[in-house]
Amino acid sequence: MLIKSSPTPQGRMLSLFDILDDWINVPQLNAEIFHQGLFTKTEAEPLLVAYLTEQGKACGAFHPNILAEHLVLIARSAAQQAINQPYSHSLAHAKKAAHALILAQTPTNRSIVSRLNSLKVYGIAASLAFMISAVSIILPLVKHSHPTHVNVVQARLRSLTTRAPNNLEPLTGVTSDDAIKIYAKYEQMRNGACQFPEVLQIPDKDKAIYLEDVVGGKLPNDTGDLAIAKFYLEKVRCNYTPMLMEHSK
Amino acid sequence: MSPLRKKILSTANYLFQTQGINSTGVDTIVAAAGTTKMTLYKYFRSKENLILEVLEQGHQDFQTWLIDKLISKQPSEKLQQLFEFIEEWVTSPNFQGMVFIKASAEFPSETSAVHQLSSEQSRQFKQYISSLASEADIEDADGLALQLSLLFEGAVQAEQMIRGSGAMTYAKKAAKILINGATKHS
Repeated sequence: MLIKSSPTPQGRMLSLFDILDDWINVPQLNAEIFHQGLFTKTEAEPLLVAYLTEQGKACGAFHPNILAEHLVLIARSAAQQAINQPYSHSLAHAKKAAHALILAQTPTNRSIVSRLNSLKVYGIAASLAFMISAVSIILPLVKHSHPTHVNVVQARLRSLTTRAPNNLEPLTGVTSDDAIKIYAKYEQMRNGACQFPEVLQIPDKDKAIYLEDVVGGKLPNDTGDLAIAKFYLEKVRCNYTPMLMEHSK
Repeated sequence: MSPLRKKILSTANYLFQTQGINSTGVDTIVAAAGTTKMTLYKYFRSKENLILEVLEQGHQDFQTWLIDKLISKQPSEKLQQLFEFIEEWVTSPNFQGMVFIKASAEFPSETSAVHQLSSEQSRQFKQYISSLASEADIEDADGLALQLSLLFEGAVQAEQMIRGSGAMTYAKKAAKILINGATKHS
């Protein structure tokens, strides 16, 4: 339906709102479709976003994927309003907002200046292509004529790659034994009353790892995350005194 | 408000924004706030009440911030400046999203108290834009308010999905086009 709706990419993007308006006005289709989440939570949405992204590219949008996501969000919100308040004309207003958004995302004056610029771009691209092809022809010749230099570079690269794991070790400072210990600690913590550090006092970069791996009790896959999780896990204070015993004091 | 209650509210707000409202359990809130379930229920009685208070607090903070920013501006400037300030707020490092937008997506049922409150807050925001449009002598103030609020809510959601997406910058440009168009017609 969208493909046939207009000869221009802008028109095809905007006709989404007309099609939704028509659907909502069909008695048996309207509320049920949206309440069942047909538009919101199925495979249809990524397809729609991909289609709108293509249309955005076709009309020269600066960020076609962001434009597509934004249009879908506007359409979804307007469709919900159209169902809840049928006389709000929300889809017609959404279409106006979408039109303005498309205008804001696309270059307005494709004048002589921009054409000249595009000619410049073609010129630069052609020179680049020439240079790349020249380099690709010349490089093998140079490589064969200076085997010693290439060998030195390769040897340096080898030494760097072999040294890399050793350089990483002191950074993380965690081993597979630490992962086992962390897992054992999670199991132990299940039987106690634990006092966790406050999330708002933890640096932003560590918050997600802290919440997922320490509070959520999920063993991280990444050694860097494991080191961070280990650090915060050591700050958790747990009381393992059986409840009955504690109450009997 | 007691410091502990305030701490639970800000922790819950952070977790709702970053992990989602439905997927954040009371256990996580309690652990992340460094408190106990008993304390949380003493202050909020239920998770739903906590969500409602987070919604109230977030909306109040945003409104106060926005009104303070716009109060010194001329009526004709206010509408034009609105998106400038919203962009400033959305691109600030502390921005975590807007709970009422997240809540209305996560609680689609109209019978839910959370959905009702988030819809009410969305309506209030639209009404605020409409009042600014009326002050600027725009004829179809309600229509323009609806267009601008759809743009704004979509941009906030896009920013929540992809941080630094630039959606708000384009929304601001689009808003300018809409405001200029509405001003010419009136």
